[in-house]
Amino acid sequence: MNLNADVPCRPRYRLLDNEQLQQLHNATLEILDKVGVSVKHPEALEMLRAAGCRVISKTTALIPEYLVADAIRSAPSYITVFDRNGNRAMELGGNNVYFGMGTDLLNSYDIDTGKLRKSCLQDVVNAAKVADSLEHIDFIASHAFPNEISTNLAYLAEFKAQVETSTKPIYFTAAAVDDLEFIIEMAAAVAGGADELRQKPFLIHYAEPISPLTHSQGALKKLFRCSDAGIPLNYTPALLAGGTGPVTLAGGLAVANAESLSGLVIQQLYRRGAPMISGISVTPIDMRTGNCIYGTPDERLTHTASSELYHWYGLPVWGEAGCSDSNALDGQAAMESSFQVMLSALEGCNLVHDVGYLGQGLVGSLGSLVMCSEIISYAKRIMKGFSLDTDHLALDIIKQVGPGGNYLAEMHTVKHCRTEHWLPENINRLTHEVWAKAGGKTYDEVVTDKARDILKNYKPKFLPENVLNEMDAIYNRAAEDLIGKQLDT
Amino acid sequence: MAVKDIFEAVLSMDMPGIAAKTQTELDNGTDVGTILEDGLISAMDEVGIRFSMGDLFVPEMLMAAKVMQKGLEVLKPHLSEGQSQSKGVVVIGTVKGDLHDIGKNLVAMMVEGAGFKVVDLGVDVDSDNFVKTASAENADAIALSALLTTTMPSMANTVNAVKEAGIAAKIIIGGAPVTKTFCQEIGADGYSPDAAGAVRLIKEIVG
Repeated sequence: MNLNADVPCRPRYRLLDNEQLQQLHNATLEILDKVGVSVKHPEALEMLRAAGCRVISKTTALIPEYLVADAIRSAPSYITVFDRNGNRAMELGGNNVYFGMGTDLLNSYDIDTGKLRKSCLQDVVNAAKVADSLEHIDFIASHAFPNEISTNLAYLAEFKAQVETSTKPIYFTAAAVDDLEFIIEMAAAVAGGADELRQKPFLIHYAEPISPLTHSQGALKKLFRCSDAGIPLNYTPALLAGGTGPVTLAGGLAVANAESLSGLVIQQLYRRGAPMISGISVTPIDMRTGNCIYGTPDERLTHTASSELYHWYGLPVWGEAGCSDSNALDGQAAMESSFQVMLSALEGCNLVHDVGYLGQGLVGSLGSLVMCSEIISYAKRIMKGFSLDTDHLALDIIKQVGPGGNYLAEMHTVKHCRTEHWLPENINRLTHEVWAKAGGKTYDEVVTDKARDILKNYKPKFLPENVLNEMDAIYNRAAEDLIGKQLDT
Repeated sequence: MAVKDIFEAVLSMDMPGIAAKTQTELDNGTDVGTILEDGLISAMDEVGIRFSMGDLFVPEMLMAAKVMQKGLEVLKPHLSEGQSQSKGVVVIGTVKGDLHDIGKNLVAMMVEGAGFKVVDLGVDVDSDNFVKTASAENADAIALSALLTTTMPSMANTVNAVKEAGIAAKIIIGGAPVTKTFCQEIGADGYSPDAAGAVRLIKEIVG
């Protein structure tokens, strides 16, 4: 009897063995214990000292191994994130993979003119609308940054635009704890209260330590505020190998991991059990220009290492994919996005953000978002594997058709023809003559047209009027409070 | 032809050997000006050419500049006032509220490598500090860096403060969110999208 007959085969991928993971972890511990981290928040530093850290300068704390072990143990291994309506949307943990967007791109391809220009609030609305309709985008983020709005209010404006447009979970940034406060208030208004929001958070805040080995006061204030409100926090560094960390991938990983784990230690000391999605980003500086890059295979290796490390810790892990260094929606964008998405899926990275990014994190494109959704669909098909059961091995029909026959009009073919093979939405499969007659559009044109079509015809679900009014009131209060204020970034 | 050796030492990033080679050349009685011009400075010119052609990478260029500086230390006591003058003084820093300094550091090192005196104020620098330092150092240029969109207003504040204080130094700005339009809006004198461009820009506006 073949016990595995009904279990589909699935691709597997592993980069580091357990000994190598231990080696990276040990290096991280040595950095934390011997080099330490700079903590620019006096209360946080005092908390670390009281917990057993040695403070060796005005801001530098040495973190012993047992505090790291405690933090890994006390942080949740699964985090459930809900949608705007309170339905379960993402179970972050294990090998579950969810793809979503990135935040704050300063420039956008105008969907009408096709020209690259400064991003505006309408780009945030458009991205939320397109993403809301795309099956394979699990969570949204601002994508674009509203340049026309005062920066102290811009992140609140982004959040408002998103929650008004889409029901999907929102991954968001804030300038400082001051505007974060208003964003949380707005989220509570949507959820029906602060307790309801804590029970069913539909948002994830993204704040970051600064490489190398620095926790800013502003970032830690956000960390504390989210921990108080029960809002899942993504507190992860973006280390530039060769710039803000060692040029070597292993060294970069160890430093970045020390940044992430020290953030986790601070959070768990502050509020045991507070939800954190951790992980590391280590990406090289381009050694020829000094530019920060996203689409390189070096970054994919560190990304896999991060996923494996945090699986090993039993903690939810974050990463990025669908973010190309190309300035246009072209072959390079497709190549880089495809590798990133496929490998993220193979790794089982839980919260994969930045889908739809172009131009080294500076350029937004709705067409790219549509393209990446299809790449994700492609990767999911590969991850599904295939069945080897009796029906799928199909020996009966093979015997029936025999040599020289064909399978086109067989019932077995009819039965499986819609489910066994991947069915793309935008990929070309027409022969060149038929394709040319149908307009001969290239893939970038097809996905951009698709985005235009969504913007024209898709009807998002709106919030009730009383909630919208409440949000307007919060926004107006925030405007009075925040404009012109010096924020603690 | 030992001045050539010094030239080669810079190009091959010979950190351990440069001081001794420079000293030997001095001891041999070669003219200090010749060692400076034909050895160290022309080597850095060549480094610049190779970098712009993509043959040298950023860290290699920076290391060559460090080697050049080390050779220069040996020459300094023997240089006349005119010879030891830097091409100009550049005050640089990351504006108030911003702790991200990798871009600023890269520009600072490259500008220093190009022969300028660089006064690096570090991160999270308030406008007063820029004003005071630029005045005390008699700066030719002030270079402001920001990575966060939230700290871009600090750039505008700093530009205003410098102008109000009547400081003649030219102000240049850079960083991922910074654009040419933004530069014009806040009345800064120049903008570069990358580090190599920043060096060219400083040479243009100071030279």
